[in-house]
Amino acid sequence: MSKASFKVHIKSMNLLKGGLKMLNAFLILFLFLGLGELIGYLTEIPVPGNILGMILIFIALKLKLIKLEWVKPASDTLLNYLVLFFIPFGVGLMSYFDFIKSYWIVLLVAGGVSTLITLYVTALIQQKLEKNDSVL
Amino acid sequence: MTAFYNLPVFGIVITLVAFFGARALRTKIKFVLFNPVLIAITLIILFLVVFEVSFTDYNKGGKYLTFFLGPSIVALGVLFYEKYQLIKHNIYPFLLAVCCGGIISILSVSLITVYLNAPDVIIKSIVSLSVTTPIAIEITKITEGIPSLTAGIVIAVGVFGNAFGPGFLKLMGIKSETAMGTALGTAAHGIGTARALEVGHLSGAYSGLAMCVNGILTTLIAPYVVIWLVG
Repeated sequence: MSKASFKVHIKSMNLLKGGLKMLNAFLILFLFLGLGELIGYLTEIPVPGNILGMILIFIALKLKLIKLEWVKPASDTLLNYLVLFFIPFGVGLMSYFDFIKSYWIVLLVAGGVSTLITLYVTALIQQKLEKNDSVL
Repeated sequence: MTAFYNLPVFGIVITLVAFFGARALRTKIKFVLFNPVLIAITLIILFLVVFEVSFTDYNKGGKYLTFFLGPSIVALGVLFYEKYQLIKHNIYPFLLAVCCGGIISILSVSLITVYLNAPDVIIKSIVSLSVTTPIAIEITKITEGIPSLTAGIVIAVGVFGNAFGPGFLKLMGIKSETAMGTALGTAAHGIGTARALEVGHLSGAYSGLAMCVNGILTTLIAPYVVIWLVG
């Protein structure tokens, strides 16, 4: 084997390893998603299965049942494209144009006012009670 | 050409093109209304309206993308674990702030809509408006609202918080950057978190965590508030 082709070989091996790691990470995420859905289905808790999956994977990481680097490649990828995944729901708004036209004032007032109140209350409580670490 | 619109690949490709186009635009123009999601959705709706493609046809492909929201919610749990280490020492004030903020958000939005005599379906659809879009959509499925309306208002709230949140909070006398981060994550989810990251790394961590905690909290409470108000 020539030096050049050996280099190519190493490169493709690394690529393969990275790909396998990614595949593994996705498998684990889907495993927790399935587990969450299963528990939701069996116990009839009024919490969506994917949110149960989110809580379960946090607990598994905290108890060191799984390692962060096992799932990080997949979770980073998904979160990087998170906004892409809900674009179709946003596009679905086009079916409700007339509805929005009749109620836009309600939506605007409710959305705007409640957001400002929420921002202020949250920030105020945190600022009053936190131990100062903004100097770090 | 009509046949092509019927293929799932049409919805997928047009969404990807709009998304990456809008993202590229964002790196050039740092103006808040050039939020990639907002631009991408507007572009796709314009395209569909101009070429007279129905949403049903578009969504044949679109639903393959929304499928990934499920594992993305699980990925939020991983994010939570990563950031948790950073804020451990402030966990109680943080949790109290997020819980109060989350409850106030649910109560204020539902009471305002009831006060303004809006139809029940609006309350059912926008009660979870401060939560990250994938979780808000799940909540709307439970309350039997309109998921698209939820997505629309949640994104609008995010852009609003992103644009005016920090300025408003400074005006109201909030000085702590971490408090600002917690507030942005609680009230304006991921899009607010993007702004919190611009304020600072630590502020971004608080914001991301607040988004996760408020997501769980709202899932647990919002459906009951809706039942209590509209039956």
